[in-house]
Amino acid sequence: MNHFLVMMLFAAVAAIVFGAISKDTNRERWVYGVKVFAEFIVIGLVLGWILYFIP
Amino acid sequence: MVKSERLQAEPVEAAPGMAWLIGLAAWFIPGSGHLLLKRWGRAALMGGAVWLSFFVGLAMGGHMFDLTPDTATTSGSIFDWATMIQVPPMIANLGSGIAYVVCWMMDIGFRDDPVQAARTTYEYGNTFLLIAGLMNYLTMLDAFDVAAGRKS
Repeated sequence: MNHFLVMMLFAAVAAIVFGAISKDTNRERWVYGVKVFAEFIVIGLVLGWILYFIP
Repeated sequence: MVKSERLQAEPVEAAPGMAWLIGLAAWFIPGSGHLLLKRWGRAALMGGAVWLSFFVGLAMGGHMFDLTPDTATTSGSIFDWATMIQVPPMIANLGSGIAYVVCWMMDIGFRDDPVQAARTTYEYGNTFLLIAGLMNYLTMLDAFDVAAGRKS
């Protein structure tokens, strides 16, 4: 399993829990969960590229 | 704001005893709190996420923390700095409930093994084990709030 898949799995489980405990309606929970998942992935990639250039 | 318009603090109702029991069950067996509340979807999603994280963490060779002093590198006292620094991750790991207890009793995932620590996925495994416990704390609090009638 490569690093990106592991990061996706981490983002998915965290997004499931964050989405499930927050908001009031199921639709809002889904939207929030997807948003959290996307944020984990995007921020992870950005940080990864920043660290790539730091020796 | 005029004095008469000041907001009055609403009295907080004490949580019923059943809510505490459901909270305890939710901590001990991840997902069971929502199962007891018949919230099948949340139980499957949140309990499933916790269990999945825990087993993925173990499969990756992750390491869990306890308060056993390392006599090789420390004085052997539980109050040694090197032992005390394990308290925060131990609290996180402890959130996994029965999974942590069973692994601790069977000495699975607690041994300081250099071969295991050299695995590429070792740190990933640690992280998954930590978040499994932390997510279960959130799950437990959610189950408690639902049982106490503070959340739908």
